[in-house]
Parts: sequence; C-alpha cells; structure tokens
Amino acid sequence: MAQLPDAAEKFPLLPATIIQPATSTKWQRKRISRSSARGAGTVRGSLKMRKVFSSTLVTKMQLIDMDFLVLMQHQKAKHFKCNMCPRRLNTAGGLAVHIQQVHKLEPENLPRIENAISGRDGYEVEIFGMEGIPAPDVADYKRRKEIELGLAAGSISQPQPKRPKIEKRPLSEDELKAQLEAHKALMGGSSDIPPAPPAADNSAGAVYGAPPQAYATPPTPAPGMPPPGMTPPGMIPGAPPFFPGGPPPAGALPPFPPFPGMPGFPPGPPPGFPFPPPGLMPPPGMSPLGAPPFAPGNIRPPFPPPPSFVPAGSASPFPPFTPGQSGVPSTPSVIAAGPPATSAEPPPLALPNRNLEQKYAPFKKATELKYSDPNFSPEERRARTKKYYFAKDSTNMSSPGIDSSAAEETRGKKRARAEDFL
Amino acid sequence: MSFFGTGATTTTAAAATVEKDIEVPDAPTDSISSLSFSPAADYLAVGSWDNNVRLYEVGAGGQTQGKAMYSHQGPVLSVCWNKEGNKVISGGADNAARMFDITNGQSQQVAQHDAPVKVVKWIETPQGGILATGSWDKTVKYWDMRTPAPVATVQLPERCYSMDVQYPLMVVATAERHIQIFNLTNPNAAYKTIASPLKWQTRVVSCFTNSTNSGFAVGSVEGRVAIQYVEEKDSQNNFSFKCHRKDQTPNSKDQALVYAVNDISFHPVHGTFSTGGSDGTIHFWDKDARTRLKTFEAAPGPISATTFNRNGTIFAYAVSYDWSKGHSGMTPGHPNKLMLHACKDDEVKRRPKK
Repeated sequence: MAQLPDAAEKFPLLPATIIQPATSTKWQRKRISRSSARGAGTVRGSLKMRKVFSSTLVTKMQLIDMDFLVLMQHQKAKHFKCNMCPRRLNTAGGLAVHIQQVHKLEPENLPRIENAISGRDGYEVEIFGMEGIPAPDVADYKRRKEIELGLAAGSISQPQPKRPKIEKRPLSEDELKAQLEAHKALMGGSSDIPPAPPAADNSAGAVYGAPPQAYATPPTPAPGMPPPGMTPPGMIPGAPPFFPGGPPPAGALPPFPPFPGMPGFPPGPPPGFPFPPPGLMPPPGMSPLGAPPFAPGNIRPPFPPPPSFVPAGSASPFPPFTPGQSGVPSTPSVIAAGPPATSAEPPPLALPNRNLEQKYAPFKKATELKYSDPNFSPEERRARTKKYYFAKDSTNMSSPGIDSSAAEETRGKKRARAEDFL
Repeated sequence: MSFFGTGATTTTAAAATVEKDIEVPDAPTDSISSLSFSPAADYLAVGSWDNNVRLYEVGAGGQTQGKAMYSHQGPVLSVCWNKEGNKVISGGADNAARMFDITNGQSQQVAQHDAPVKVVKWIETPQGGILATGSWDKTVKYWDMRTPAPVATVQLPERCYSMDVQYPLMVVATAERHIQIFNLTNPNAAYKTIASPLKWQTRVVSCFTNSTNSGFAVGSVEGRVAIQYVEEKDSQNNFSFKCHRKDQTPNSKDQALVYAVNDISFHPVHGTFSTGGSDGTIHFWDKDARTRLKTFEAAPGPISATTFNRNGTIFAYAVSYDWSKGHSGMTPGHPNKLMLHACKDDEVKRRPKK
C-alpha cells in the first residue's frame, strides 16, 4: 500500500507533540498500534468489529477504546468508502490506491472524498483515527471544545504548566535559622518572640521574611524616658525594636517611647487651659437629632475619650476670606505665614534626568487620555504655577521642630491666647 | 476574567435618591487636596491649596462645625492624624510638615524636605508612633518629632507621588511607575521594588484593610485600578480593571474618554474600597467578589480626595479641581465642595463570592 507522506513530514516546523498529541484526547486513551488496527480493518475488519459490538468475544479488540472504534467506523462509512464498489478503506491514501488499481482510474480524476469539510476533500492529508490531523485544525478543535465546555482558555489547548523546580540541596545555616524563626512566629511565638502585633498583622515578620535578629530583641521598650534630643542618629541602627539590625547595645534607649509621655506634648488638655464650655462642644455620640444617618458613637472602638478641641474664640474658627486673594490668611488668628512667594515667576518644571523621560505607547483604539503628561503629576504642575509656587529660599532652611522661629511662633501664640482669656 | 460591573444595576440606585449627600458649609476657598478622619472621633481634617488645614467636627446627624484652622506657607498636599487623635499632621508645598495640637490649638513645624512634601502618614508601631513623610525630593523620611533631624531617610528611585501604611506594610508609589514596598519592621530599605502593574502614571496607592493577605491597590491616570498582592504566592489573585471612563458621544459605548483615578480609600471594617475619579464619579468595589457595589451620581467636578471615617459609617469626598486640564481648567466658578455620605451596609459590605 502506498503511503502518503506523514503529517510530521508535511509540517516539519510544528512540534511533534502537536501533530501527534500523546494524551489529552479521549480518542486516544487506549489505542492499539496503527498497523495492527489497519490490518484488522482492511482484511476482515467489518466482520470482526461486528463481532466486537454484538458478542462477548474476548479478544484483543475489546481493549480498543470504543470511541476509537466508532470514529474509525464513521470514517470508513462516511469518507473513505469507494462509491463504485462496497469496499471501505481506512484512509484517504488507501482509497486513492484502491480506486487507481481496482477501478483503473487515473490519479488526476479521482472523485473527491465524500462528506468532507470544504477544503479537506482531497487526498493530501492522511488521517487515520485522530492521527494526522493538521496541527492548526487540532488547535482550532480544542479551542472550540473549550468554549463549548465552558473551560478557561488554554486548559485543554495549552500544555500543562511545569512543576515549580524544587532545589534539592542542603539548606545553609542562615536559611535554616530564618525558616525556624518563621515557623516559630507562625506558631504563635515562643518565649523569645515578642507578642505578634494585634489582629490582621499576620504578615509581620514571618511572611515578610524579616531578618531573624528582629525577633531576638526585647519585646518591650526599656523603661525610662530619654531626655529630648538625647537620641543621636548614630544610635539608630543599634536600637532594634523598630530598626532591626543587631542586638541592642547595653542601656540603649528605644528611639520611640510611647507618644503620650513625650516631653513637650501633654497628652490631654494641659493645665492652665480651660476645658471647653459645655454648650460649645456636645459630647460626641450624643445626637441632637432623632434619627442620625451616621451611626452613633456607641460602636466606638475602645479608645480613650476623643480629645477635644481647644475652644474657639468665635462660632467659626475660620476667618472670613477675601475672594481672589492667593490663599494667605488675612487674619492673625492663625499663625502668621511667611511672606507670600509671588514675586518671581516660578521656574518651569524640569526633569532631573532627561534620559529617564517617559513616553506613553499609543493606545490601541481611539482614546482621549484626560491627563496625558507622563513625566509630572498634576500636583507638580499646579505647585509650579505662580499662584501656588513657594520659592524654596523664602522658607527658613534651619532645622524644623524646635527651631527658634517655631518656638517664637508658639510663644507669641500663647501670649495672644492668654490675653483673650484674661 | 469577569470584570466588575455586573451587579451595578441591582445596587442602591433607589437609595441614593432618598438621601442626598450632605455638603459641608465653610468649605475651603481653594481646591481640596486631602482628607483625613481622626481615628478617635468624627473629626475631619481637610488640606487645601489655599495653604490651610481646616478641622471639622461631624455630628451624628451629619451636621458639621468648623473647629480649628492652621496654615502652611504653601499649599497643603496631605493631612493625617496621630493614633490618639489629638494631633493633626500636614505636609505642604512649603517643603515642610506641620503638627497641630488640637488640645491647645498650636502648630509647629516637625519635618523638612528639599521639595514639597507630597504625603504624610502616621505609622503606629508596637513601640510607638512615628511620622513618615514622602516628598518630591525623592526621599521618605521618618520623624519622631522630638528631634529636628529625621530618625531615618530612605532614598526613593523617583519623586514620591503616593504612600499608604497598614502596619507593618508601607507602600510608596513614585514617578516613572516605581512602587516600593516596605516592611516596617525594617523600614530603612525597601522589601521589594516593582514596576507598577499599570502602564500609565501612578496617581495613588492604598493598602488593603481587613485582608488576610497584605496587598494594595494602585490607581493610574489611565482610568484603571490594579489589585496587587505583596507576596508572590498570592500573585494569581492580582488583577486590574478599567473604571472612570466615559463615551466620546453618548451611547457610542467606546469608553474613549479616560480619566485619572484620583483617590482610593479602603473601608476600615469591610475591606471594600472606593475609587474617586477625575470624571466626578465615585464607585464602591469589592475586590474579592470582583464586583461594583455602588456608583455615585456624577459630581459637577473631579473628585480630588476621598476617605472613610474610623468605623466606616461616613464617607467624605471632595469635589474640586485636580489640575487635570492645567491652568485653563481653573475657572472661577469651578465647584469646590466637601461632601459627606452616610454609608449603608449593603453599599460597603462584601458580596459573597460566587
């Protein structure tokens, strides 16, 4: 029997797995070898198959998948049937040879294959069962099946993803240590692990893979309050509760003691400042209206009573605004702002490094991007307009916080306030 | 992948018409840049481009009362509260951060940068509170506010555009689409540096609340939000979706007008989130069910800032100009409003997963 070129030869560029998928189709779950199947089919195939279907005959044929048999029968009956005699062939090639030799027809006027998909009614493609189907058609079929079955795209047609590679080698000391710490933290802490931060913080440390040294530090800040300004920046790497990096030096003070105890910042209303008069500040949570749209304060989390504001001098703490003025408050009730920096035109925005200039790729479809500058945010642009620009040199570049000007501001403010109440 | 938007029609369209959102009187005179609710009470701090920070008390009926105000030397870009709720911290274009003590009404400078301070965030660590400031000078600095020098400075790859903290996670988004993820048990170095999952300029990052796996949402100028998990093992849950887009002509369905996502706020209790866009709309979303929970009626101007109060019953948003059209968009009659919305449970509660 003349054999037409195999599919793998016809599509040399396609990987063999696509042409002959070894798994993944039900037609091929169990399959006898191609030659034996053909032999059975061509000689006494029809008889044997009838036997298989009708009897309990235990033969090799029973091992053939029923689906495969049905497909083969279908192909022989519908496509590879000679229309000049009752002969049925297994493949297009077989049919061609049969017609040429038995019925003496020239190769060029062979009849078209019956009932074939348009374009596939020639003798070029040798299909037997599920073998030899051109790869693009296989892919197309699988895609259609996926849609039909409602599966995610690629679940049939894509090859199975590779298993993640697990490196088989002894772990180093550090890795072992890190894993142990992670495990301990996960298990809820042994004695040398500070209690995990409350709720929702399961990502603390272990998940993040923080260095194990972070856990070896004392869980609570050492008692004692550092005098203000006593925390030199150089000490920070060695003070680990917040900045890990090694065991703390003896006597090192934690850089961040609890906030309320901070010198200079009284936690509540400081002595000497009157509490707000009752009329001005209804206690939060007490609703003056019947049906509050906002949930009342009874679901307040366990916080201390919220701090109250210092009483304002008038009903509204906001001074009247004069429209058109460039934002600088006109009344002395607020801290005097510095001179408005409006004298010079602000310099244009410039990229620090021209090479890093960003450009957007064009959109695939017609799109109007409302803010299309890739290099600067709208706020940066806005801050550089004359109205909003703040010249750097007009600010006091001295140290912030407890610098002299701030202290002066504060003192001046206090005096003004004291006068109000006297 | 199924996108948000299937459940939109069934949501509270009817409820929205029943109760209108409340407008806060005495709103700032210039665009509102940032909003922050106190973690201890319903006090709202509002930063504005008119250089001032205003503090309001929100009553149970939604009525508001101005309580205090203080100023920066330049426009205010960000506000936050400390954990006790007795101090307000704000950062401004005057390269400084200021702290205002609401118990005695005094403010003082607590941080200094070489360029405008874009974000201030309060970090509550087990060891105490600390202030983080992110600036256009490409640094994040940590301050304990007793010493004039920062306790630490972190160099960023680019100018800081947005930052959010959900201890121990801190996420910093910068220009040129860098995103740095910090583990605050080691705040001096980035735990991870990634390129933004979105291909356009980052507007905002916001960390998940009430989530078993830590992660954050990123909003870009190209009407898109990405949900990004920190750890590699959760990466199959990463996704992005389009939002804040309009059709070029009504009913053309081309969604060709693309607006920036200006702010993302997570609900402190339910872990759902809001997005506010330059198109004037606000949506509530559920990232796990991947559905839209609520759509607000379009506001007359861009939504520049959004926030939830501490227990998620009040949603505050600002309708002001966001400079998306540059100087020419700053028309004298541009709306500048501060609105309060009472959250109903079905708007903010998670949907059961399908």
